[in-house]
Amino acid sequence: MSPALVIVLRVLAALGLMLANGVVLIYMLRKVLGHLHVRLGPVHVGPKGVFQTTMDVLKLLSKEDVWPSGVDRTLFYLAPMVVFAPSLMAYGALAFSETWKITDLATGLLFTFAVLSIVPIGILMAGWASANKWSLLGGMRAAAQQIAYEVPLLLSVLPVVMIVGSLNLGDVVLAQDGMWLGFLPKWFVLPQLPAFVLFAVAGLVELNQTPFDMSEAESELVSGFATEYSAMKFGLLFLSEFSNSFVISALGVTLFFGGWLVPWVSSEAIQPIAPVVFMIKVYIGIFVMMWIRGTFPRVRIDQLMQLGWKWLIPASLGWIMVTGLVMKLWQLGPQVVG
Amino acid sequence: MSDPRDLVTDVGLLAEGAHDAGSPPAGIRRAPTGVDGLTTEHLIINMGPQHPSTHGVLRLIVEVDGEEIVAAETSLGYLHRGIEKLAETRRYNQLGTLMDRGDYVSGMHGEQAAALATERLLEVDVPAKGQWIRCLVAELTRIASHLIWYGTFGLDTGAMGQFLYAMRDRESILDILEAISGARMMFNYIRPGGVVADLPAGIDGRIRRFCNGFDAYLDEHHALLGGNEIFQARVQGVGEIDADTALAFGLTGANLRASGFGWDVRRERPYDAYPQLDFDVPVGTTGDAWDRYMVRMEEMRQANRMVRQCVDGMPEGDFTAKVPKVVRPPEGEVYASVESSRGETGVHVVSDGSDTPYRYHYRAPSLFACQVLEEILPGHLIADAVMLIGSLDIMLGETDR
Amino acid sequence: MLPDATVVRSILSAAGVHDAPAEETSLGLVCRVPASRAPSVLAAMRESELDFRMLADMLGTDTGEDIEITYHLRSLSRDEELYVKTALPYDGDLHSVWNTFPSALLPERETAELFGLKLVGHPNPKRLFTTEGIEPLLRKSVPQRSVEEVRER
Repeated sequence: MSPALVIVLRVLAALGLMLANGVVLIYMLRKVLGHLHVRLGPVHVGPKGVFQTTMDVLKLLSKEDVWPSGVDRTLFYLAPMVVFAPSLMAYGALAFSETWKITDLATGLLFTFAVLSIVPIGILMAGWASANKWSLLGGMRAAAQQIAYEVPLLLSVLPVVMIVGSLNLGDVVLAQDGMWLGFLPKWFVLPQLPAFVLFAVAGLVELNQTPFDMSEAESELVSGFATEYSAMKFGLLFLSEFSNSFVISALGVTLFFGGWLVPWVSSEAIQPIAPVVFMIKVYIGIFVMMWIRGTFPRVRIDQLMQLGWKWLIPASLGWIMVTGLVMKLWQLGPQVVG
Repeated sequence: MSDPRDLVTDVGLLAEGAHDAGSPPAGIRRAPTGVDGLTTEHLIINMGPQHPSTHGVLRLIVEVDGEEIVAAETSLGYLHRGIEKLAETRRYNQLGTLMDRGDYVSGMHGEQAAALATERLLEVDVPAKGQWIRCLVAELTRIASHLIWYGTFGLDTGAMGQFLYAMRDRESILDILEAISGARMMFNYIRPGGVVADLPAGIDGRIRRFCNGFDAYLDEHHALLGGNEIFQARVQGVGEIDADTALAFGLTGANLRASGFGWDVRRERPYDAYPQLDFDVPVGTTGDAWDRYMVRMEEMRQANRMVRQCVDGMPEGDFTAKVPKVVRPPEGEVYASVESSRGETGVHVVSDGSDTPYRYHYRAPSLFACQVLEEILPGHLIADAVMLIGSLDIMLGETDR
Repeated sequence: MLPDATVVRSILSAAGVHDAPAEETSLGLVCRVPASRAPSVLAAMRESELDFRMLADMLGTDTGEDIEITYHLRSLSRDEELYVKTALPYDGDLHSVWNTFPSALLPERETAELFGLKLVGHPNPKRLFTTEGIEPLLRKSVPQRSVEEVRER
């Protein structure tokens, strides 16, 4: 097959995965939150309500596209695209198995973070263009929150990169192959637990998930930056949010939980079902995020900023120093050379 | 009648000094702007009247500098139904129906206040069983009302699960109240002289089952919300109302007790069977939102204790005194109040000897809580505004009447 | 529960209201003062030894000849209640007491609006519950259907 065709097929596969993820994740969110809240969630449409999201997507497609008077037409139109496109691009560097990757970037991790950092621009555009003071507040909160937390997000994964010696996500997974003491898998969550905690917190902030969902705080700002959006524009904004949660969970799994590796099974033997293993782990991570979402109250914006600047950044810098010191003292060089 | 389309900017003048919706709110307190003199523009934002958070149709006009509130003004009247005027053509045993629809979440307390006022005018005593039944349903209503407060307080801070757990427990109470009075919300059960009907057979078993389970559920509720560090950071030290301010603004109930004054109408002006019941009155220290939260959680526990005592100690006898359906109290004026879940709900009745009141005034505790909002909001953030309205437990039905 | 009537009368005299009736009724201890003196009387009650630091309630009543304003004062430290009544003419001036008792802010707006009085000395003298063009609803001159009329529709 010509290389161009292969690339197009891969991009379409990524798009298909993103859309399928959206459908499944929305249903999963409603069911998980429902059962956490002593209620059922969707039950009517299809057996156990499984077709609910499909019908919701069709409903969104057929809704009237409302353009409130006074909106900035260009920005209002572009904002959902600026939010959606980077979310799709972020699938580019993920490693579903040794061979199943959209691209095999040497700087995969950096690329993913860089692409995800375009999303707050779109949110700010959405908030500003809506000609609504509440949306503006939501957009400003999102900009402050998500832009500020990219620093701790990146710093928290640096120790892992230092140990692995490469930014390629496939190499990071391969570096976690093997066992310590014969029974403990070499997943980085064990030696790098503080880094994992910092990554989890910063990741939740980046995703605008409760306890950090101030920009779309339902009880305060109705829908925050997305209040004035209807039909498919709204659909794009929220599809991108669910897709981002998949990407962050996938990154967490790749960096800390061994990607597509299964303990006590060699990496060659697991190859046939590696993507399935990867998806199961990612969905467990998303389940934990939804669990947190249904339980915790919301942090206030100034408390969030204090948490980021006063606690997360110094902690991640400190942990980088500790990791470097340990690596130097015990002569632990990078495990993947070149 | 003016054009409805003018209603948005129509504010109506009582004297000089009114303004339109675009100019700054006239709240009595204005926080000083930043010291560095950055010329940032203040936004004037409307919170409400339709809003997922304000407890009823409350409109708050706030002037914000970034996220910080500089001045605030409450705009009421969206739920004004003229209860006080309607009462002038209602017979005395029908006044309870109007009070039900004032504070609709704790209906029994309103009915109790109206009945107490009529009984004081008539100088009629309620028999013991009637008094104990009234205390029983009043304390059950207090728990139900506080559960709504707890659930919506959690929702205001972003925690969705706690609301549904509170509603689950409230359903048990509403089922009990439905068995007793026939209705889940607009009870019309407490009348002048006593109550309308006796307790149904077997209700004490149901109530005991509820009480036995409720303490454990209350611990769970407290652990889920109060034990959460994020919630504590949101709530502790925020919205402090010191004792002098609370007194000056006429606060009563849990809001006043959280600021340090242990004034409880059940203790200071006892009515019905409260002198025979054994209960503690929780009092706070600093008057911040955390203290108000803790006071109300403890009140729920004490109410549960009282419900158990009422069921165990229910006397025999008549459940109502012999009061004619159409009462014609002698001329006079009386004020009667009860400790409702929001504070002191009072009824000030002027009787002219006929079968309907000459003047009926409903003292609503939430009206005073709305006033104190204008005082404490400047200096806080918008997220705090939503949380503070919830912590003061404002109910718009009784504020607007 | 009832404050000492002689002490109340002496405070009223000190505030410039002489020979004010202070009698015990079914309501409690009620004293009547002229409308122009009401703010100073309330301030005197607050500062006095009787320590009436809380304005529990404020309401108006249309007596047919004038509007009677009732201030319900409470002293928590002494556990006493006092009612101060004034009489205002229709469309008269209601002088605000918010400087002494901020709890009168919203009740005064409500009373002025629903009885058709003019609010003086208030920081925000706007209507509270009804919109422009609604007549003073609580006046007796504003009719309402009686029980019989409702029944016969």
